[in-house]
Order: sequence, then C-alpha cells, then structure tokens
Amino acid sequence: MSRPEKAGTPAEARWLRLSPLMLLVHPVHEVGRQIPVLVGAVVLGSATGNPIYAVLALVLTVVVGLARWFTTSYRIGPGDVQLRTGILQRKVLSLPRNRIRSVSTEARLLHRLFGLAVVRVSTGQEGRGDTEFALDGIEARRVPELRAELLAESLAGDEEQPAPGRVLARWAPSWLRYAPLSSAGLLTVAAALGIAAQTGLVAVLEDSEIGAFGAATVARFGVLGVVAIVAAGLIAAAVLASVLQSLLNYANLELRRDAEVLHLRHGLLRVREQTFDMRRLRGGTLREPLLARAIGGAQLDAVMTGVGGTGEASMLLPLCPRTTAEAVLDDLIGRPEVVHGPLSGHGPAATRRRWTRALALPVLAAVVLAVAAAPLWVWPLWAVFTAGCALLAHDRSRSLGHRVGDGWLVARAGSLERRRDCIEAAGIIGWTVRQTFMQRRAGVATLIAATAAGAKSYRILDVPADLAWSVAAQTTGWVADTTWARSGSGLR
Amino acid sequence: MSQPVVLADPAHKPSRKAPLVWAVSAAIPWSLAAIAQVVWLAAEPGPWWGHVLAAVGTVVGIAVFVGVVPVWRYRVHRWDVDDRAVYTRTGWLTQERRIAPISRVQTVDTERGPLDRLFGLATVTVTTASSAGAVRIVALDADVADRLVAQLTDVAALGAEDAT
Repeated sequence: MSRPEKAGTPAEARWLRLSPLMLLVHPVHEVGRQIPVLVGAVVLGSATGNPIYAVLALVLTVVVGLARWFTTSYRIGPGDVQLRTGILQRKVLSLPRNRIRSVSTEARLLHRLFGLAVVRVSTGQEGRGDTEFALDGIEARRVPELRAELLAESLAGDEEQPAPGRVLARWAPSWLRYAPLSSAGLLTVAAALGIAAQTGLVAVLEDSEIGAFGAATVARFGVLGVVAIVAAGLIAAAVLASVLQSLLNYANLELRRDAEVLHLRHGLLRVREQTFDMRRLRGGTLREPLLARAIGGAQLDAVMTGVGGTGEASMLLPLCPRTTAEAVLDDLIGRPEVVHGPLSGHGPAATRRRWTRALALPVLAAVVLAVAAAPLWVWPLWAVFTAGCALLAHDRSRSLGHRVGDGWLVARAGSLERRRDCIEAAGIIGWTVRQTFMQRRAGVATLIAATAAGAKSYRILDVPADLAWSVAAQTTGWVADTTWARSGSGLR
Repeated sequence: MSQPVVLADPAHKPSRKAPLVWAVSAAIPWSLAAIAQVVWLAAEPGPWWGHVLAAVGTVVGIAVFVGVVPVWRYRVHRWDVDDRAVYTRTGWLTQERRIAPISRVQTVDTERGPLDRLFGLATVTVTTASSAGAVRIVALDADVADRLVAQLTDVAALGAEDAT
C-alpha cells in the first residue's frame, strides 16, 4: 500500500489514504487525548489490585489510534472533495470544490518530526469539530501540490505557479517588545494562579518554608511592601510569559503575496500556514491596544468573505510596528488615503456622550463614598480613578472618526483597543441606522454597515443623526437611488 | 462632498392587528408571573412587603409591556419596498432603520408562529449574505405578506450575482 498518489483521472477519482506515518502519530495523540480515562483506569487498577484494567485501557487506546488511519480516506473528485472517517459511525464529508475559500496547514511537534502536516480545507462556513474538513497527516512535501490542486477551482488561472511573490512582512525580534502590551500575558498568569489555587498549591505553600519566609517578610517590609513585591513579580512573570508565547507563535512569521494569493506562515513549534484568496479581500482592520499604541504598535486583521472577523483565522500580522501594519494594509488594498488619511470627527454631541459615560461611574462612586462616610485615604484613590476615566473619555472622543469616498468606508473608535476598520464599499450589502433613546435625544446615531466578510457588521459610533444616511449614500450609491432618498437640506 | 442625503420614512404600517398580537404575546408570560405570585401568596403569606413589591413590579410590567409598548411599537414600525431595496423601521426605545439592496437578497422567508396564525399574520424575513444584514418585516397581514414575497422573489431573480 500506500503512499498517496496524485489523484487519478478526474473522471474516476480514487479513495486515497493519509500518510502511513500517521500509524505512529495517531496512537500517541490518542493516548494524549484519553489521559483522563487512562488515569481513571490506573486508579481503578490500583484500587482493585488488578493492573489489567490499565493495560487494557492503554491497548484499546492504541488500537483506536491505529484504526483511525485504516478508517480514514479522502478523494478529490472533479466536482467535490470528500473525506470518509469514523470507526464505529462512518461519516462522509464532502465539499464542493468551487466553494473552497482557503486551505491552511498546521504541524504540531510530532507531525514535524515525521515531516507531516494537517491540511484544513475551509469553505468559510466555519466548520467546528465534527464538520471540519481536516486531512490529518499529509507528507509536508506533498502539501504545495495538494494545495494547488484543491484551490485550482477557486483560483483558476493561477495554476502555472508564478515565481514566489513578494514578501510583504517578515517577523523581526523587535516585534517582541509589543508582546507584553496585549492583555493575553496577564490573563495567562491569572489562569496559572487560578489553577495553582485550585490544586491546593497555595495550601501547601502556607505550611512550607516559603510560607514562613513570607510571614517573615511581611513582618520586615509591612503589608504594602509585600503587595508591591508580589505585584512586581506578577508583572515580570506576565511579561516573560507573553514574550515567550509571542516568540513561539510568531517567530519566523512571513506574509507573502503571489499575485492573487496571500500566504501567511508562522510558528516555531507548531507551524501554521494559511492561504487567503485576495479576490475575497474586502478590507482590513488595524487594531491598537492602548499600551501598544503608546509605543507605536498595531496589529492587522483581514476583512475577508468566508473568514471570521476575529481571532487566529483572520490575523494577518500580530502586534508589530504600526508603520509595518499600515504599509502591508496599504499594499493589500492599494489605497494610501484609506489607510493613512485624516478622518472627520463626530462633533460635540458624540464627545459629550463619551464624557457622560466615562464620568457616570466616578460620580456614583463619589456619592456612595460621601454617604458611607468613607475614610479620608480613599479620596486620593478616587481622584486617581476619576482622572483615569477622564483621560479615557478624552481619548475615546478623539478616536471617533469616519471617512467615506473613493469606494471605501473607514471607521475608527475605541481607546483601550482602538480600531480602524477599512471596508470596501462593494462588499457592503446593507445598512442599519440605530438610535437608542439617549442617542435620539443627543441627535446622534450608530451607523452599521453589513457585509458578508469578516465580523459581518462594522459600526460607526455616534455619527450625527442627519449625517448617517449621507455617509451610507456616499459609500454605496444605491442608497441615494432609492425612492425614499431626499437630497438637499429641504427635509426635516 | 456631495449633497447630504436623508431617507424619508418607509410608507407602510404593519397590520392593524399587530398591537393586539404583541400585547397578547407579552400578556402570556406576565400572566404566568401573576399566577406564580398568587400561588406564592397562598403557599406562604410571608412578609407582606415582599408580596407588595412583587405585585407592584408585575402591575408596572403589565402596564408597560402589555399596555404601552405594543402601541409604541405600532407607531414606530414601518416597511417599504421599491425595485432597488427593502427598507424597515422597527423598535420602540431603541429604534432601527435598516435597508438592504434587493440585488443582494439571497432568501425570502415567511414565518407564522402560533399567535400569528390565530390572528392571520405573518413575518417576512429577507436575508442577504451578511448575518448582520437580514431585514425582518414583522406582523403583516397574511395576504400582504404573500404579495410581498411574490414581489420580492420576482425582483430578486433579476439580479444573478454572487451576492457576497
């Protein structure tokens, strides 16, 4: 048997097997997946004094792993691709070839050791778990050929494999300095602490020498000193964790463009490779988390039909120098003024709303503190909090802006994470003008552009109400052509 | 900058029976809440202020959601269709105007819940390739809904684009 061969004649495609090397990989992964069961079996074994349970469970797991290879096969037919899986319950998954939107690959450590990769075929319907079309275990050197074959239908005319295209961006060590400034690092530390607390590590610590040492330190430096030391330690750990995570995920990242296809490849241990069809690109989103923005960092997401709007699937660049992110977006959409151009602000009403919202909480807190006759030392804290809220309001109102014309819509908003959404007008297939009660009183509205791409809806927050439809009409001409459109200033 | 554009409100109101249906559909859960309170009072006459508080809450809830909101919604709700777009205005406290071009319409569905059937109403949903762009025209008289669906499918068939 069995090296998978190039798919046979188009008329009579044969069922192919995945790489036989997976016979080595599957059992290991299966054991990894079934660890809870195996631990249970070991516990049962030692409780009954009969280790046979553990051995049986292990053997069964390995057999299931082996059986996965024997029961999985795929076929690339003229009109569709099919994947047949399932040990007890057989299942055939088939995708029409002209619906294939992207092919991505991923290789975990064991896969890389054997020179294998997982090939994922996506139609943009966002298959999860059961409905995901994944060929787990293709020889890495066969991947380019397979990718070209799978995408041949949707990327017709691109088959002659042009010379490797331009590299748009390549990872640089300096990108690491932005890594701690996303919130992911802090979350990691918090999660680790939570797990530690759950497993009773804290209880162990309390009775140990470290605990005694801690008590002694408290005695020496006072509570405040210890809190400061612990906070500093936490921050250091968070920084380290996020830098490490960023390094593992994104080192050797390369974004390459071959005419109409965009290739993204990144990861040190787990290599991920993704292909985007440029003709489905409807724009991009530049995101700037507050702290990263302070030192000139930004990240870039693609807005693409058939690709979700957030997370790994749509990421083009992780946190990197803002100039790099902007240059790449500019290169992709070829509209410098959309990427860099100035925005028109949303006026005093929108600004007022940012301020009332940000200051509502401090005012409420002040009332509560005054009524409860809080101790005097609370008030400086309150002042710091209020100042923070005021800065937030100022920054949020400064961020607000939009830009229309030339067939593009640009919207910017946010402070903690400022985002600039650049959407191609041709991709916009509907508009919503939403006004809450307070928005009606303030004379502003939220304009929402619906698209089939990315996050599906992109909003322009608190645009002056009488401007909302003008923005829509300037972006997509058909709005002005409907029977309800009244131009000029005669109405209302 | 081109001229400012304003969109006039859509022309058509939903069915005259719409406020009644909305009131009935709001009355069902609220009457269940009222019954639950009576049962509570019978089972445990407990602290009187708890019952009074709950009763006031229920009465206010019924007054607002059965009395006021259906009428308010009826005054807001409008819909219209021309040969280019579908246009609706919906909501009460938060109001929404939504427009979708007919050339990008993918499906036109009619939906009739049990209450709708009882009162002879229907809801028409026009979907586009964006999950955020579906336009729902609620509480139409059944015959109006049927005519609307026929009209929409007629016009939509003309545009044979990919619609994404």
